[in-house]
Amino acid sequence: MTDSEELVFADATQVADAVIELEHVDKFFGSFQALKDINLKIGLQEVVVVIGPSGSGKSTMIRCINRLEEHDAGRIAVDGIELTEDIRNIQEVRRETGMVFQQFNLFPHLSVIDNVTLAPRQVRRVPKAEAERHAMELLARVRIPEQAKKYPGQLSGGQQQRVAIARSLAMRPKVMLFDEPTSALDPEMIGEVLDVMKDLARAGMTMIVVTHEMGFAREVADRVVFMAEGEIVEVGTPEHFFTNPQEERTKLFLSQIL
Amino acid sequence: MTTSAAPRPAAVWVKRNLFRSPFDAVLTVVFGLLAVYVTFQLVRFVFVTARWEIIGTNLKLLMVGNWTMIHLPRIAIAMIILAVWGGSIGGLIHARQVRRGTSTLAEMSLPTRTGDLVRRFGILIATVLLLLLLTTTPGPWLMAAGAVVGAVLGRVIGGVLGRLHYPRPVAVPGALVFAAIPIAMYFYLIDAVPLAEWEGFLFNIFAAMAGIILCFPLGVLLALGRRSKMKLLRLMSTAYIEIVRGSPLFVLLLLANVSLEFFVPSSIAPSKPVRAIVTFTLFTAAYLAEIVRGGLQSIPRGQVEAARSLGLSPVTQLSRIVLPQALRNVIPAQIGQFISLFKDTTLAGLGLGILDMLAVSEAITQQPDFRGQGLIIETLAFTAFLFWVGSFTMSRESQRLERKLGVGTR
Repeated sequence: MTDSEELVFADATQVADAVIELEHVDKFFGSFQALKDINLKIGLQEVVVVIGPSGSGKSTMIRCINRLEEHDAGRIAVDGIELTEDIRNIQEVRRETGMVFQQFNLFPHLSVIDNVTLAPRQVRRVPKAEAERHAMELLARVRIPEQAKKYPGQLSGGQQQRVAIARSLAMRPKVMLFDEPTSALDPEMIGEVLDVMKDLARAGMTMIVVTHEMGFAREVADRVVFMAEGEIVEVGTPEHFFTNPQEERTKLFLSQIL
Repeated sequence: MTTSAAPRPAAVWVKRNLFRSPFDAVLTVVFGLLAVYVTFQLVRFVFVTARWEIIGTNLKLLMVGNWTMIHLPRIAIAMIILAVWGGSIGGLIHARQVRRGTSTLAEMSLPTRTGDLVRRFGILIATVLLLLLLTTTPGPWLMAAGAVVGAVLGRVIGGVLGRLHYPRPVAVPGALVFAAIPIAMYFYLIDAVPLAEWEGFLFNIFAAMAGIILCFPLGVLLALGRRSKMKLLRLMSTAYIEIVRGSPLFVLLLLANVSLEFFVPSSIAPSKPVRAIVTFTLFTAAYLAEIVRGGLQSIPRGQVEAARSLGLSPVTQLSRIVLPQALRNVIPAQIGQFISLFKDTTLAGLGLGILDMLAVSEAITQQPDFRGQGLIIETLAFTAFLFWVGSFTMSRESQRLERKLGVGTR
């Protein structure tokens, strides 16, 4: 057993009431192993930032958590519900888990308000008026209530991503997953999206954020996870991570990007 | 031209576009003469040499075949009710657009709106007027007047109904009753004249509409089947699509005509129009399936992933996210297929022995008054013209629909 694995286990067991649990998770794409024995527990209201070079399995890992990808071995559970073949379990996990994508993936044929109200109305059977009231609240929270009647194509990238966040929040998820939410944005729009995410973190949302925004990691993260080649290499607090990294691969990565 | 100080713009345009080089000049002269000749012959045929009285005399036959005279008012009543129905759909759609703030009509004045309607349906309206002028009885005029009044009335009713809010227990049965109106009209008509005796242009229009409505769900299901994860379903859909697309429609119609007798006694075998409509439906569905599949493939993966991540059920993912976008992306191709179907209904005459408009237009040249006078050109030209008006209107409306649905979506 290497040092890094010990570190991971030590860290994972520290979390008392885990909302998300990954135990010995493996994932293959054909013969390529994208995830190698991933172990991670995330507690209630914790903000975990996942960093690492491209192709390191960061996105794959969080996509496994809401079953956009199927893991091949190990155990994944969200809020005590284990992800299995059972479609009801999968649906239940997806209801509890919001996801924000790099490419926003808003529904272009629906207005902003319809984007936000669709899932609550269809999945949770919330009445229309109630869904719209909640949607307007959320749009105010992401600071674009005035765009409610517009279509996604009429908004800037930053605005679209904020709508996407509101759309996920509309399902009142316990956990939010962010898959490189600012990577497709023009530089001047990154700030507005990060601000919304910081608000969310302060409000106590449990979040896993895959990002290259080190400033965000430093400021908001409770823990930082560094991944490389499908493995979790190192886990620690931001101070530990940015001032005193233990692993060679972490040091190399940080030296390249900072 | 250096000699003329300031050539007039028109002269410049002509030189630039028609006589830029000697080769261009030759082409311009040759095709110019050809165009003049063709136009002259066409105008001469339409206004001088053609003997259109064969159309006027047989207009009823061309339109509705041997439909019993005393039951003609039923067609008029059905048309008027359908006009009210269609008008109220327009009103409902408009009310919905106003509610969502996507209406483009709101800022249009009445003259612009009239102009818009004339541009959209001008040729159709002019053709209907032409047909009315050819009639000798007041019935068609009354029907047309009734239909216009009905459509306007329906538009107003729909506009008012669309503004109200309906609770679910009212809205669902209401929508069902509304959707059942055309079906009720069908039963009202076959109550007087069975479908087997529907002839003339009425048959072509009815067969096309029935085929379009029926082939649509089948085509969508086949497209989904072909993309299904279940191997058997995928195999069966693919086989169906490829076999039907590989067969000539006319051959399928001939088969529909003769093959059923092998399997069922003729007393319970479906009537010829039913066979024709079933064949059109099955045939067009295969083409539609490929068109829809193209639309499905145009939807980025992210759309489905986003829908999934929100916990939408597979059915909702399809009905709310994927299909609305996929079908919208292939509207022109879909309408193109429907236009084909409309025109292909003329094959039913020869294929199944139905007296459709094409069959009538051939038959009437054998009447004692017109026999041996070579009037087939007149009747065929008239038939082609009516089909062109229908197809062209559909094509124009599809372009408009595409433009309208494109607003604000990308």
